[in-house]
Amino acid sequence: MADAPKLVNITVNGKKTTAPAGTLLIEACKQIGIEVPSFCYYPGLSLQGACRMCLVEIEKMPKLQTACTTPVAEGMVVNTESEKVVQSRKAMLEIVLANHPLDCPVCDAGGECELQDMTYTYGAAESKFIDIKSHRDEQQWSPVVFFDRPRCILCYRCVRVCGEGMDVWALGVQNRGQGSVIAPNKQDHLECEECGMCIDICPVGALTSGSYRYKTRPWEMNHVGTVCTHCGDGCLTTVGVRRSDTGMEIVRCDNRDKSGINGDFLCVKGRYAFDFAANQERITQPLIKRDGKFVPATWTQAIELVADKFKQVVQKDGPQAIGVIGSNRTTNEENYLLQKFARLVLGTNNIDHHRTADFPAFAKAISENKARTASMRDVFEAPAVLLIGNDPTEQHPLLAWQIRNNVRLHRSKFYIVNSQAIKLRRQATQFVQIPTGAEARFVDFLSGNDAAAGTLTQAGASNENLSQLRDALKGEQNLVVIFGSELRGADISALVKFAAPQNAKFICLGDYANSRGAADMGLFPDLLPGYATFAGAARYQQEWGADVPALVGMDLKQMFGAARDGKLKALYVVGSNPVSRYALDPFVLQAPFVVVQDMFMTETAIAADVILPAAFAYEKSGTFTSTCGDLQMLRKAGDVVSVKSDFEIVVRIAEKMGYDVRKLVPFGKGLRADMGQSRGAQSGEADRHSVWLQARGLEPKVSPFDPLATLDEIQRLIPGYDVSQINLVSGNDEHTQLVQIQNASIPSHPELVVPSNDTLFTSGTLGRYSTVLNSVMERRATGKEVAAD
Amino acid sequence: MGFLKNVSAIAKGMSITFGEMFKPTIVENYPDGPGPLRGAVFQERFRGMHVLQRDENGLEKCVACFLCAAACPSNCIYIEAAENTEENRISGAERYAKVYNIDYNRCIFCGYCVEACPTDAITHGHGFELATLNATNLVYRKEQLLAGVPAHVGQNVVFNITEAAKQKMITK
Ligand code: SF4
Ligand code: SF4
Ligand code: SF4
Ligand code: SF4
Ligand code: SF4
Ligand code: FES
Repeated sequence: MADAPKLVNITVNGKKTTAPAGTLLIEACKQIGIEVPSFCYYPGLSLQGACRMCLVEIEKMPKLQTACTTPVAEGMVVNTESEKVVQSRKAMLEIVLANHPLDCPVCDAGGECELQDMTYTYGAAESKFIDIKSHRDEQQWSPVVFFDRPRCILCYRCVRVCGEGMDVWALGVQNRGQGSVIAPNKQDHLECEECGMCIDICPVGALTSGSYRYKTRPWEMNHVGTVCTHCGDGCLTTVGVRRSDTGMEIVRCDNRDKSGINGDFLCVKGRYAFDFAANQERITQPLIKRDGKFVPATWTQAIELVADKFKQVVQKDGPQAIGVIGSNRTTNEENYLLQKFARLVLGTNNIDHHRTADFPAFAKAISENKARTASMRDVFEAPAVLLIGNDPTEQHPLLAWQIRNNVRLHRSKFYIVNSQAIKLRRQATQFVQIPTGAEARFVDFLSGNDAAAGTLTQAGASNENLSQLRDALKGEQNLVVIFGSELRGADISALVKFAAPQNAKFICLGDYANSRGAADMGLFPDLLPGYATFAGAARYQQEWGADVPALVGMDLKQMFGAARDGKLKALYVVGSNPVSRYALDPFVLQAPFVVVQDMFMTETAIAADVILPAAFAYEKSGTFTSTCGDLQMLRKAGDVVSVKSDFEIVVRIAEKMGYDVRKLVPFGKGLRADMGQSRGAQSGEADRHSVWLQARGLEPKVSPFDPLATLDEIQRLIPGYDVSQINLVSGNDEHTQLVQIQNASIPSHPELVVPSNDTLFTSGTLGRYSTVLNSVMERRATGKEVAAD
Repeated sequence: MGFLKNVSAIAKGMSITFGEMFKPTIVENYPDGPGPLRGAVFQERFRGMHVLQRDENGLEKCVACFLCAAACPSNCIYIEAAENTEENRISGAERYAKVYNIDYNRCIFCGYCVEACPTDAITHGHGFELATLNATNLVYRKEQLLAGVPAHVGQNVVFNITEAAKQKMITK
């Protein structure tokens, strides 16, 4: 570690202060609460010095200086409010406004425009120019990016964020001086990652979003911070919602307030792929299959039918004849509740989910080696990063962003071992290409087996490269090791064993928003929440006040096998599509009674007897665990009448089956009551539950549909989850460590891991129903202009 | 002296009262008067039911900026915006109000919306006969608030109204 830079003394507007040498004057002023206006300066991006809004007066300097490019120096005396500075700001704004169309009433940025704010605060009220303003028509650069040239104030933030931040370099500048204009990389359109970062960072409304433009105005929406529902990286996103005929419509997603691990980053999915919520094909009514056809039913009918059937099967064929499949996209509380439902209400351990990474093996490796997991923040700060397998640019966009910016801003070292020439190699200190499927052998080589090197060299890496890399890695302290689903089972143990002595931290990459949570919450036939084996069931039985069934259950594939053999009589699938993900035969689902909880008519849902329409992540509250183990809280933003959260559906089925809901959800215990947070109080929605609750003699404020009560229980039972709830509620992320309470060896089933293979523009079922993602992909396929909606 | 003062004060007051009795009446003969207003007479500044204005080409002036809705103290304006297209041009700018409702159950005729409007689209008209037995009738939609198409525009302009409505206009 370098020594901390020495402090220098400066005086700003008569206030004396100190700042580390090398700090930019604009930042030093910010530290003591003095705002220096700026357009082109953006923390984390290269300095531009283009807009001249930040001019300040510095003693002994003949001219005004740009605070955004001037580092502080000992004894500097600065005035940010002198007559001269005020005049120059006015003049700068007048020049910026000279050609600005002033179409604020129709501009998307109106109400959250930095130019508007500056003009109000620092500007002159009238324009002295009488010449006609030059006009250019708006251009559509891609399905999601529109450019309105006259509004551009040439701050070059978009160019820099696309190049430096995204490493896409799709935007550039043509011409010089007054005539400068921002231009896309392909003449009249963009070919890029469509992340929308340029739109987000544009201080004015020059770049606008295809999905949001002209829809509404910022102050007309409610803004609710929640967690992205797509990949496993756990970006925080601010969802803008507006009342509509069918509830609360989601109008846009961004993270302009830079809260959360992702700062202002969102990828194309996080920013645009929320439109599936309003897709025409979304199921918004319970459906019951009668004579091979789905007929709409009421919730009461559907839940009664499901509860009756489940009860019948348990009584007649025994609990082993029911299987439950959970989801990678439902909240921790829902997953936890679901496994509790399976184990206590149904009495079976037949519960599983679509596994996209071998988390049990990871948990085992971490606890055996007393190693630690890395948070997404660690990736940005680590002095060195090793990536084995996976392609984060496509599958973990935030992770890729963190790595890129760590390399760019902190000069960290970055090593890649991959079978493909993935894009991140452009940031790599060393990139070693190995044959497809050889990741495990590479780990073997790392662990000291030199013979393995021979099989790794076909794809271009030489023996020398490999040993070089191994030596370099051995010398790295505080390394962050990231690996994809290519590594499973014992290979994970070997890798952790190799790097743990150097104080390394680890990340195991799972694919969906809550894949890690689903595993942590025990959606396994042989593991309880927190990867506890049945040998350690006593703690759980004590907390639950009921016995955990002793028999190890069937995994997902075995359930389908049992269905084929006629042994499985009922299957309960929550937010999952195993038929398509595991390429299983849907015909085996004809015999058992199948209940599917989903948003869309998936390949699995078609085979169902009852479909219950479920709310998705933006329409409920709870917590998600990112693939790194960062725990964050979801808040209810959108709403569609007549769909219910998975949490509520499970509780209602249990209640109808005659189970005491107080045993299922520990509501009313502890300090906190649900004052409506979990039911969308933020979006101003009426309490839809109160009638049901009052009819059952329950106080509406203490609700069994309160996921936070379940979170309390999760925190009591799973050691790593014992983090500050206050922090979670206030929107912060809390890293959960994989702490093991018992030393029994954790069973792992590498063969059940099936990666989702999503790209930057796909996202399982949700992606298929997103108009924006589809139009982006269509446009990439044909190279033609396709409107977003 | 006090007594005289009181008498003179009463006399002064009564003289005005009696004087008025012999002047012509200025109470409006509404609703039995002549003309379409049935005898109602307004000051120019009277703030009645709103009118959404059109420009000289017959296009709607409202660009759905939501400023009126933001200014409204009783929160009674509801707008949904949409984008103009080549084929379907409704307002002069890029955006127009697809839905524009004013809820007269709540409107207090304060005129803040008129103040706020950057395009002079929303104005107060003189309509005042809003009484109804059904409160839902008091939510006025854009179609009820819009000004008529200026006569000189005639049928030459492509409007954004439905084909049927256009036909009706042409035949009128
Ligand atoms: S959308 Fe993203 S990748 Fe495309 S130009 Fe903008 S910043 Fe660059
Ligand atoms: S388009 Fe926006 S971000 Fe890019 S230079 Fe112009 S004003 Fe700046
Ligand atoms: S990186 Fe992942 S979590 Fe972040 S916005 Fe994209 S899909 Fe969502
Ligand atoms: S007159 Fe006042 S209360 Fe009525 S719509 Fe306008 S702003 Fe609202
Ligand atoms: S009436 Fe005026 S203020 Fe209201 S939305 Fe239309 S243009 Fe904006
Ligand atoms: S902020 Fe300093 S020149 Fe733009």
